[in-house]
Formats: sequence, C-alpha cells, structure tokens
Amino acid sequence: MPEVHVSGLHKKFGDVTVLDNINFTIKEGEFFTLLGPSGCGKSTTLNSIAGLETPTSGSITVGGVPFVDTEKKLYMPTEERNLGMVFQSYALWPHMTVEQNLVMPLAIRKVSKEEKASRIHEALDTVGLAHLKDRFPHQLSGGQQQRVALARALVYSPSVLLLDEPLSNLDAKLREQSRAWLKRLQVELGITTVYVTHDQDEALSLSDRIAVMFEGKMTQIGTPAEIYEKPATAAVAAFVGSCNFFTGALEQISGGTAHVRLDNTGLVVKVASTLDLKPGDAVTVAVRPERLRITPSANAAGANVLETTVLTRSYVGSRYEYGLKLGSNVVQVVSPDGNLDGGVRLVFEPEDALLYAGASVPSAEAQELMTVAA
Amino acid sequence: MTITRTESATQRPAVRSTLPAPKYPRVFGAGRGRIVQYGVFILLALFVLAPIVPILYQSFRDRPLYEAGGLLTPGNYTRLFTDAGFGQVILNTAIFAVGTTVLTLVIAIPMAVLVVRTKLPFGRLLGLSMQWPFFISTLILGFGWITLYGPAGFISVQVRQFLGFLPWNLYSLGGMAVTEAVGLAPIAYVFCANALRQSDASLESAARVCGAGPLRILFKVVVPMLRPPIVYSSILVFSMSLETLSVPLLYGTPVRIEVFSTFLYTNGLQSIQPDYGILGAASTLILAVTIGTVAIQAKVLKNAQRFISVRGKATRPRLLDLGKFKWVAAAAIVIYIVFGALLPILGLVFRSFTMIFTPLANPFNTLTLSNYDRVFTFPVYVQSITNSVVVAAVGAVLVSILALLAVLVARRSPFKFARSVEYLALIPQAMPGIIVGIGFFWVFALMPGGGLVQGTLVAVIIAFGLRSLPTAFGSIAPAIMQIGRELDDAARTSGADWFGTFFRILRTLLKPAFVGALILVFVTMMKEYSAALFLSSANTGVIGTTMLDLWVQGNTGSVAALATIQIAITAVFVAVANMFMKGHSDA
Repeated sequence: MPEVHVSGLHKKFGDVTVLDNINFTIKEGEFFTLLGPSGCGKSTTLNSIAGLETPTSGSITVGGVPFVDTEKKLYMPTEERNLGMVFQSYALWPHMTVEQNLVMPLAIRKVSKEEKASRIHEALDTVGLAHLKDRFPHQLSGGQQQRVALARALVYSPSVLLLDEPLSNLDAKLREQSRAWLKRLQVELGITTVYVTHDQDEALSLSDRIAVMFEGKMTQIGTPAEIYEKPATAAVAAFVGSCNFFTGALEQISGGTAHVRLDNTGLVVKVASTLDLKPGDAVTVAVRPERLRITPSANAAGANVLETTVLTRSYVGSRYEYGLKLGSNVVQVVSPDGNLDGGVRLVFEPEDALLYAGASVPSAEAQELMTVAA
Repeated sequence: MTITRTESATQRPAVRSTLPAPKYPRVFGAGRGRIVQYGVFILLALFVLAPIVPILYQSFRDRPLYEAGGLLTPGNYTRLFTDAGFGQVILNTAIFAVGTTVLTLVIAIPMAVLVVRTKLPFGRLLGLSMQWPFFISTLILGFGWITLYGPAGFISVQVRQFLGFLPWNLYSLGGMAVTEAVGLAPIAYVFCANALRQSDASLESAARVCGAGPLRILFKVVVPMLRPPIVYSSILVFSMSLETLSVPLLYGTPVRIEVFSTFLYTNGLQSIQPDYGILGAASTLILAVTIGTVAIQAKVLKNAQRFISVRGKATRPRLLDLGKFKWVAAAAIVIYIVFGALLPILGLVFRSFTMIFTPLANPFNTLTLSNYDRVFTFPVYVQSITNSVVVAAVGAVLVSILALLAVLVARRSPFKFARSVEYLALIPQAMPGIIVGIGFFWVFALMPGGGLVQGTLVAVIIAFGLRSLPTAFGSIAPAIMQIGRELDDAARTSGADWFGTFFRILRTLLKPAFVGALILVFVTMMKEYSAALFLSSANTGVIGTTMLDLWVQGNTGSVAALATIQIAITAVFVAVANMFMKGHSDA
C-alpha cells in the first residue's frame, strides 16, 4: 500500500486558478479526506491524482511511481495508473450486469478465467452483494449501486482507492449507516484511500486525516480532532462544525491571554492566544456553541461572563439550542437545560474561545442572518 | 442496510496481490487514441477544405484553373459587381431568405407551443405529422406545389374559374418563400418543441400559483423561454434558404428571378462557355456569407445551451386548456399539413398515374402507367434510381462512422483541436450543394489521379457525404451528451485507454444514436442532388438530377413518377429502419 505525494500542484482554467500550490503526503493505508465547500478544488485535486485532469504544474507520485511531473514533462495516462475510483454518480455502465461491470477491468488486465471468477466473487462478497451479480444497475437501489461501484473499484486490487463524494446521493439515514460500513471496510482492507466530501460530519467520522480546502488553497491538514479543536482559520472553524464569531479590537495581550473589546457590546473578554498582535489590532473571537455555558443565576463565576437575553429556544432531540441576543449579534448556544428564559448569563473560559487576527467573519451572508437590531 | 455474506467470506484470505496496470503501446510517444484523434482531424480538414481551396484560388485567377500561366487578380470580383447583374441577385436572395425565415417561424413557433404545451385534439398525431415534410425533398415539394398551385396547377385553375382571377402568383419571390417555409418549418418546429419539452415545468406551476391564467402563462412564461431555440432555428433556416437551389430554380427560371444558387447554376452549368472567374468569385462571396451565419449560429448555440436546462426530475405539468380556441388551433395545423405538404405530394403521386392532370378533364379518364414506362424503358433513368440508393446506402454508413468518430473526438477526448474538429464537421452546413459540387469537380480535375474519381459514383458519394456530415454529427452529438462523462472516467480509471473506452463502453450505448444517424443520412442523401449537377456523368446521375432533366424536357408526368419512386423508397426505408429500432430497444 503506497504513499501518495502531491507537491506544488497548480491548475488554471484560463485566468481562473482552481488549485494554488497544493502540497500533501498521504501515508500508507491512511484514510485521507479532502474537505471543502463546492468549487474549492477538492474534486480537481482528486481528478488530478486519477489523471482525469491535467495539472498546470506540480508533481504527483504514488508508491514511488511518478504519475505527473510537469517539470520533467511526465504524464502517465489514467488507465496506466492502476487506481480504483468510485464516482459520485457511481458511473456503473448501464448496459452491463453487475458481474459484467466487474469483469471489464479484469478483462483489460488479461486475467485468467478462474481468477476472474474468484476475484469477482470476493469483491462482491466484500460488499455483501454476491447474490445480485446478474442484476443490471437500474435494478438495484442507490445503496446497492454504490456498493457495486466500490466492488468494481476494488476487484483488481488497485494501489489507491479514490472516492468522490460516494455517499452524497444516498438518503440521510442510509448515508449514516453506509459511512460506518465504509469505515469498517477500509480498516479491514487497509487500502490507502483518498476521499472527497463537502460534508464535515463524514470527514470527521471517517478520516485519519483531513485536508480542508478553500478557493483552491489548502488551509489546514490535520487529524479530525485537530481540525475541530484548533481550526487554523476562522473559515475552517465556520466550515467544520458551527461557531459563533464576534469581531473586536485587541486591548492588550500578555502571558498567553488576550483581552478583546467586542464590537457588539463594548465589553472586554479574555481569550487564550499566542498570536503576535499589537493592542488596537482588529481581531475575531470564535466560540463553538457547545463551549458556551448559560446560567440564569446573577452571580455566575467564570473568566468571561456576558449578559444576554433569550431570543429563541429549540428542542433538537438530545439537547436544546438557544439563540441569545448579545448586542446586535445572535449567539448560538447548546444546553441540556430547557427552562431558560429572559435574561441569562453567558459564561466561557479563555481556553474555550479561539482568536483570529483581523475582522474576518467567514461568510457575510451567514453573519447577516445572525444579526438583529441592537 | 444488512450485509449478507456467504460462509467463505468469514475466512477470506489476506488482501489479494495488486494486478499490474495495463500497458499500452506508443508510437512516437502517442497512444493509439491520440493517433485516431489526429487521423480524424486531418481527414476532416482535408475533406472540408478540399472543395473550398480551389474555389478561393479560382476567384482570384484571371483564367480557368486548368489553363496554365494564370495571374492573380481581384478582377473577377470587380466584374462580378459591375456587369454580372449580381446586385439584383443579392437583393432577391435577401428578400427570399428573410421571407422564408419569417414565414417558417410564423408556422413553427405557434405550432410547437400548441402541440407541446396545450390540450389539443389529436395533439400527438398532429405533432408527428408536423415533422414528416422533412422526409420530402424540397425539389419534390416544389414539383408538388407547381402541380397544384402553379399558373396551370390543379387548384389554381379551379380558383380562377371560381373567382375569375388567380389571387396568388407562385412564380415570385413570395411564392418561393412560402414553399420553402413549408419545407423548413419542421426543423424550427423540432427545435422549439424539444426546448419546450425540456423546460422546467415548475416555472409554469409557479406562475399558476401566482394566479396566472393559461393565456398569460403562455405569453409571459412559455414563449419568452423559447427565445434561444427561436434565435438558433431562425439562423439555421436563414442559412439554409441562402443555399437552397430547388424552389428558386423551379419557380424562378421561367420568370428570370435569380438568387445566389440559381446564379451559380445558370453561370456554371447552363452557359456554353462558363466564366469560371465569376463563378469562383460568386461562390467565395456566398461561402463567406453562409459560413458567417453558421459562425453566428455556433456562438448563439453555445450561449443557448446555458438557457435550455434539462432537469432529470422535471414533472410534466398539466397541459394548458385553451377552451374553444383549441379547435381553431387544431384546424390551423391541419390546414398547414394538408395544403402545405399532403395535397401537393398526393397530387404529384396522382399526377404520376395520369396523362394530363387538370380539373378541366376528369383525370380518372386518363389513368395510365406510361409515365413509369418511360422511366423504366431508358436504362439511364433506371440507373439513376439504383445510383441514388447505392449512394445513400454507402454514404450513410461512411458518413455515420466519420461523424461518430468526430463526435467522440470533439466531445469526449482531451484532444487539443477538439473544438476545431467540431467546427470542421459543422462547416459543410454552410456550403451550398452547388458550390460543393463545383469545388470537388475542380479538385478531381486538378488532383493527380483525380481522373479516376471524376464522374464516378465515388465522387458523388464524397460530395453528398460532405453535405450530410453536419446532419449526422448533429444527431449523434446530443446522444453522447446524455451519456455521463463519469462512465468514460470510470472506464479510464479501470484501465481502458481512450480507444478501449469507446469499444468497451460507448459503442453499445451509442448504437441507437448511430442507427438514428444512419437513417437520417440515408434520407438526407436520397434528397440530395445539387452537388451532383457538376459531378455526375451520364451514367452517374441520381434521381434528383434526372428529375430536373425530365422537367426541363417538359416530361412532368415522368418527373412525378420518379418523385413517387423516391418517396416510396424513403418511406419503405424509414419504416423498416424504425421497425428494426423498435425491435432492438425492447431487448
């Protein structure tokens, strides 16, 4: 199971840069996810590995074999790369039965009849569909089609498995179960896997490591925990999980704690930070809803205590989501307590919040929706 | 989701060894896919440019191409504009083309809207009948119209008897435009109808929810959405009426009204000493105009595809109910079909079985087979029928294969010149048949070894093939767009190269489109004749050229007989082909 090296990958369509200096290395047997909003370049990156897109510059090496090296003018065509790929639409050949779909890659590789049969049986068995080998794709459910596509990608034991949003066409419930199943399968097979998705839940639960991409740039690479706990930018924080953002100005910074005067209320909050900033700099404070505590009592203890009022309360199953009014901002908070109303206090510790340089709210539209009359 | 596994799975062996990736041979670093792509590109370039180059060259030469020692000069162009009466020709052509385009749209748009979007009595039947004039060549349609509506036509005579005068004159630019419009309306109809079928039904539902009535929906939502197909089909019809020969030749010759195509015909074929310089210059100008219109069309289509959105989940909305007006609408369509196409064709068929065809004498008293006798007693005439069938059959296969390859290269390959391949395949649409004929005539005359081809059926097949290439390309291209690109990508990642992807995956999926193209090209080539006017020798005429010969001789009965035979061949072929298609799509 080989390593995947991608370095200095650029892709331009005319004047538009879709990939801007992408670098990463995927370890053997790793489940690596490219995560980002649509149009961020994650599929282009995957297609470059597959050879379905030609990068403008850069190099890709898999298991020591150079696939692309624009400096050496080296380009290996898709069909010689020996990769397995599952497409968003599954791309099962509609005029062939499940078995015929699986025979094709083996026939190209001139595999003996006996080995064909045993490999196909094994691959279909792995995805639990051996009994459906004579069906045509249109006679299968979406979930079954997806598993056949996976079997077709695995039947010739490719070096790397590429998955392009394979779960996005399934309904919500099936998607969750398929996700768990896919994880078990990948662990069992130990195959190096590159997964593309825009669904942060999928990325967090499936991956060994995640690369978050925005507008053709790779913003952060890390384990799911690193991505969620220590997002490198406000954009990552906003994209992975939900997050409250407050803009403000730095009052002072010392000993790993920053004092920030919030624009919405003029109050000062303390946030843990090691950023190199000067007093007066514009900053953004980000806090995840589950890191905020709400308490009705007037004498709440904590490093940061903010006076707010409850705007909305919604029951979402295991917990309550509150919308609180803080100045002109709406703050999202999650709490197990369903009886809060009127004036409440919002409490959080400096370590619960993240600080980013600049007044960088990730999406103007989202921020607009989170604003009320002061 | 329960995962059932057989027993063996529980003690599955360790992960299998990786199979080696397939290796493909290279020639000078190019795989076989690349070689095919370049091959198609070069073949198309030669095919399309061959007839254009000698025309361009001749237009600047002071003497015929075959005479040595010529000088390059713009003299031909100055002569064309000063003394050849070309100004009047341009004016006539413009009037004819604009008139045809407007009339075509006037017929096609309302009918498309009525048939596709409203409750119409016998709507399906009317929709199908709307399209069948396409299968009849405009030459035959022209004969049919003359038989009925010409100065001595069957209906004209009766109207004159009744009113004391004839309120129309078929032998005029107006008459030409009406006939041509009837023949071209199915093309515009198909464009509009397809766009209407594909348009998102929820837009209409939204208008309905807002409280709009059927008529308001029609004029505020449905018709405005038709703008792209209207623009596209009007340019197409415009360029087709610029190059058409049949109707202007039949109607214009007796009254000396000349348009582009008839100007070339009279100057190139009918004059005893053709002025090749003038011919070249005129051809060049006409080519410039027609290629210009097709270029605009390509640009419009590129943008139009953004507007026409195909949505997989579009639900059929309820058809709009026009109340009593629907009977008026149905009647209008019936009138178009009956008087525009059905009666003229029936009249022509009937004419082929009579001695004289006039309301003044009961035609049933002069029933005869002598018209057919005359056709079948002259071997040359019989030969022209078999020639037509051979040309259409062989040509259909060759052109469809070339078009299929061109579509694959243009739409489904990383080929550098993919766009150029598409343009090359579509340019012949802008090349008037008569110019293609002149061009290839010169090519075969000048090319070493061209003498072997000159005057043979091979020459005819090449010229007709070029003319019908865009038709074949246009009928296969949409089919390939419906096949998701991921199917190719999946084959590529599985180890098939570009060529293998076609042979293993696309070949089967494209079979219906390919058969469709075969049928269409066969029909198109059966109708074609103008390119053969220059290229055929005595033994290699086709039905169309023979009909023109007989028409000039005044043998209208035999013309009608040949027309009937051509219609019969086309009808039988289309019927058999459709049956074959049906049998296959069920499997």
